[in-house]
Amino acid sequence: MSKPIYELVDELPTSGTTVMALNALDFVIPGQWQNLTGFTNTIKTVTGETDEAMIQAIGDRAVYLYNDESQGYQRAMWLYQTVDNAAGALGMAAMANKIGQDISFLGFLDNLTPKPEKAQSIDLCVKLVVELVAYCQINGIPGDSIGDFLAALGDYGGESLMRMVALICFDGLIPLGPSFIEKGLSTMGNLSPQELEHNQTFQGVNNLIPGGDTAGKLGFIGQSFDSVKGWMTDFVSSKGLTQENALGNLQKFVQISADKLDYVGAFLDVSVKYYTHTGTQTLARRLIERAIAEI
Amino acid sequence: MKPLDWRTNWQKGIVAIALSLVLLISGCQTKPPSQFAQAQQDSSKPKVTAVAKDATQGGEFNKFFPKPGAGYERVYTQEKKGFAEAKLKKDGKEVAMLAVSDTKSLPSAALKFANATTKIAGYPSVELGSTQTSVLVKDRYQVKVISKAPSFTKDDRAAWISKFDLKGLEKLK
Repeated sequence: MSKPIYELVDELPTSGTTVMALNALDFVIPGQWQNLTGFTNTIKTVTGETDEAMIQAIGDRAVYLYNDESQGYQRAMWLYQTVDNAAGALGMAAMANKIGQDISFLGFLDNLTPKPEKAQSIDLCVKLVVELVAYCQINGIPGDSIGDFLAALGDYGGESLMRMVALICFDGLIPLGPSFIEKGLSTMGNLSPQELEHNQTFQGVNNLIPGGDTAGKLGFIGQSFDSVKGWMTDFVSSKGLTQENALGNLQKFVQISADKLDYVGAFLDVSVKYYTHTGTQTLARRLIERAIAEI
Repeated sequence: MKPLDWRTNWQKGIVAIALSLVLLISGCQTKPPSQFAQAQQDSSKPKVTAVAKDATQGGEFNKFFPKPGAGYERVYTQEKKGFAEAKLKKDGKEVAMLAVSDTKSLPSAALKFANATTKIAGYPSVELGSTQTSVLVKDRYQVKVISKAPSFTKDDRAAWISKFDLKGLEKLK
């Protein structure tokens, strides 16, 4: 049986590399993401209710909704967790030795292998599709509804928008540079189904990607990324985002040297679990919003 | 003297480690169960579901939601079996949530209307907590408006409930 939703939300960290890295992106969407943790605290913040009996009733209903597998919330959680863990699996052992210490990029460098641009480009596209599929699972629309997802992106806020900002910065701009969107598109365009099958991030979430066989899934990933490129391009330009300012802000929190950029993607994979972190926050919010409306 | 010193230090070390282990373990064990542990246990039993099999599909509810306009924007956020919800925004800011749910999944939600003393648009209405107003249509469908901004008052909630096509919802087969 999976972990109760209240435990997952209660265990969200209030400090550490993931939280620091996300805070480093505050300059992109100032004040829009607060690190909301703790289940009852989330109920109070999301609903504005303070009555204990009311909080209990909302929380109880949210627990029921999460545990009903037919409702898709657990699948969404699985997607968020898996896409983070698959990408970072290789470095996890090295990471284990660093717990309790400040994680310094340079001290960590020996345990990392540079991440090839191609692998990074695939990760970027697969992670975007994971967001799309998880969105559909949470909101109850068919899993291949690219159009609905696009419409919703414009309304993204809070932790959902922060997840997209982190995707753009940590999996796009910083490791791949300003042409990250083109790199993602051309990589997917030239990729064979066999190559996709060998990508670790894809392997993790393969089962929940629409499209049938691997060739179909490859097509779906490429098509999804292509549809979101307009939103991403506009977002990057309207926020004045560059590789330099994204990296510069990250360097305020984590020591990273700009001449080792090919290691940064690998470093972020193992040390920053932003999909799990903000995904849990998104799920908690949606569950609570539904629970209060149903009781 | 030296070997003895060494031994006492070593023994002290062991005692210290053992004590911290005891503290660690007992600390873990005395963690009080979550206030939601009962719900977790009950909802994890086999065949327990949160949503009734014969609940109406959320997509059926969408057409009865109030139309956006006059500065208000409506954004659908969830459409699940037995449930549909939309955000109501004004000037880009979320002011309320609008929702329809089928109480077949949660009969206790319908029971609270048995003691209702007020009506909105002819349907029994209740206030819940400090942010929620709802009516029960056809003894089954709960239509609820939840304030998300302090400026969105109880009167606003009642007004927006009236803007749902409640008559249409009542005719839903």
